[in-house]
Amino acid sequence: MIKKKALLACLVVATITVGLFAGCGSKASTGSSTMASTTKTKLTLWHYFDGQAQQKAMENVTAKFNSSQDKIEVSVEFVPRAELTKQFTIGLVADKLPDIGLVDNPDMASFAAMGLFADISDKMNAFADKDKFYPGPIASCMLDGKYYGVPLGSNDLALYYNKDMFTAAGVQPPTTYAELKTVAKKLTKAGTTYGLAIATPKNEEGTFQYLPWLLSSGAKFNEVGSAAGISALSYLTDLIKDGSMSKEVINWTQNDLEKQFVTNKAAMIVDGPWIISTVKTDAPKLNWGVVKIPKDKVYASDLGGENWGIIKGHHEAEAWEFIKFTQQKDVMNAYCADFGYIPSRRDIAESNDSITKDPIMSIFLDELQYAMPRGPHPKWPQISDAMSTALQESFTNTKTPEQASKDAQVKIDTILK
Amino acid sequence: MPWQRHFKSKRVKEETILKNKYTREFLREEKKGYLFVLPALIFMLAFVGYPIIYNLILSFKDVNVMTFSKSVKPFIGLKNYIEIFKDPTMKTSIWNTFIFTIGSISIQFVIGLALALFLNLKFKLAEPIRGLMVVSYLIPMTVTALLFKFMYSTSGGIINELLMKVHIISKPIGWIISGNTSMLSVILTNSWVGIPFNMLLLTTGLSNISFTLYEAAQVDGASAIQRFFRITLPELKPAILSVLVLGFIYTFKVFDLVFVMTNGGPVNSTELMSTFAYKLSFTQFSFSRGATVANVLFAILFCVSLGYLGLIKDEEVIG
Repeated sequence: MIKKKALLACLVVATITVGLFAGCGSKASTGSSTMASTTKTKLTLWHYFDGQAQQKAMENVTAKFNSSQDKIEVSVEFVPRAELTKQFTIGLVADKLPDIGLVDNPDMASFAAMGLFADISDKMNAFADKDKFYPGPIASCMLDGKYYGVPLGSNDLALYYNKDMFTAAGVQPPTTYAELKTVAKKLTKAGTTYGLAIATPKNEEGTFQYLPWLLSSGAKFNEVGSAAGISALSYLTDLIKDGSMSKEVINWTQNDLEKQFVTNKAAMIVDGPWIISTVKTDAPKLNWGVVKIPKDKVYASDLGGENWGIIKGHHEAEAWEFIKFTQQKDVMNAYCADFGYIPSRRDIAESNDSITKDPIMSIFLDELQYAMPRGPHPKWPQISDAMSTALQESFTNTKTPEQASKDAQVKIDTILK
Repeated sequence: MPWQRHFKSKRVKEETILKNKYTREFLREEKKGYLFVLPALIFMLAFVGYPIIYNLILSFKDVNVMTFSKSVKPFIGLKNYIEIFKDPTMKTSIWNTFIFTIGSISIQFVIGLALALFLNLKFKLAEPIRGLMVVSYLIPMTVTALLFKFMYSTSGGIINELLMKVHIISKPIGWIISGNTSMLSVILTNSWVGIPFNMLLLTTGLSNISFTLYEAAQVDGASAIQRFFRITLPELKPAILSVLVLGFIYTFKVFDLVFVMTNGGPVNSTELMSTFAYKLSFTQFSFSRGATVANVLFAILFCVSLGYLGLIKDEEVIG
């Protein structure tokens, strides 16, 4: 009998501890280790791309590098995105880190501030092609005037539209906010089709989708609560009130948008170039096109894409060799094509016919000049949280757009103080 | 009677122990005992004690994205605790966690008990049905969360479609996209997962109740309701107690389900302490704040466990 009590007591303790601290366990991974038996330096690369084409692209680019020389061997490890962020921070304490890490560009500043990435300013300054990057992508690699990374490739957002639905409704692709509103309304068929779909979940993805609208109003990222900022949020909220946009946008991801689009549930979606190949496979017969996101005062989009970072204190020199390898024209064009990304370098992107002459990719290239980087600021994740929360508050009618924007402004001001 | 003999021998044994307490033999025996406990103790200290203490220290420091790389992290005492309780999200998350826990446990327990009683009736299909019921407990939490996310959807989700087909509602309900129903939706999902756990533990409790008690009651002319309240419930008390406390602890720290289904949204309507702590630590890199929330969560659970241990001390026999 006593035994049973003790057993139960143990069970209680076990249930509390297991799980509560489960998040703290760190996954063992082989960091960098030079095997004595071989002369090759082995490097590990972490990335979070879960798409098959993208994983293949990562394998391809490392395989090419490995066969191009005989000193360094890079192996690729896939770590799911939420896990990767966690592993980077835990790894900083436990030093279980790779040699090269890929991060989403708005996260770069945070990780650089936390000391994850090596300062590569010297290497960058000696790099001949340093000034050939687009200003947005390279800015996202910098913190306090120092370089901490190199852009992998870039993307941005544009408006996908269903050509058949537009013809049926007798409308043209919209270019302004006013046009978008009427067109979206006309294309909406209650119960079956929404005129427009965006994705505003309560995380970075939501902020990413919100920024074009905010910036187009003329407000900057830290001016959410200004008159212009309020007008942007009101505009989007009105689209939901109109019925032109589903209330479910707050739970959708950008991949969900693609599904809405190919199943004819959305006539227009705002999404990035990485879904192009999926749209083509999912709906080969769909008649669709891409235009720039309609503007309020100015055209705006925001900059997506990842950066390479070299982990501080690991094989920095060897990792730099690999990154330099990726900067060659044919290498970069090849993996960017697989990713559905645009090369982050002007000289490479603008001489690539499959981008400049392609009716869809050329729009994304065009949008890139309006694409603003998020931040860069070490506390961007907190700023982003304030924005995506405001979106949710306004879209769910918890607060008026004015109130939600103003509350977000207070939070942002405290963070930036 | 056998139990009397057992009791007697126990008393004799205790007396001998008392007599021998300070003899060398006893001490030697006791040392041996500690030796056996040692590996478990070291294990507990390393894998249970260390994270708890580490987390506690972390919560008294200011570790965030700006101070992370500094070798000495500023010690700021209770400031994190003071600041976190000023944050309206913290209050919301504590409130939500209690609503979520109490809501889930109530539903799980009532349905679990009903099913346990039902399946305790000895009919042919009782065993296979009981086996099948456990399936929902076996499915990985993330899978359950995704399934329910689809089922709650307003466009084509099966729950809305069904309710509309039978004309209970005229237009889809935004189950997890509206702040009013999102909490209910996650509670229902979590209850679905937890029902088998309740049912199994209660079934074990039920099978331990001697049938002679019911026979005697029936002879005395007790009705079914009387038998339930006078025999089943009191006899089941220890099992009920452990089900409720284990359920509380288990539910109080649920993370994956809510993280996948709503990520705490819309706005903060389903933000639990667990998801809030995760968000602070691994999205916003405010590690100390995240640790602070986790510690508050731990403190509450610790109190619940202490209360539970106190309660079972008074109970003679469990199960």
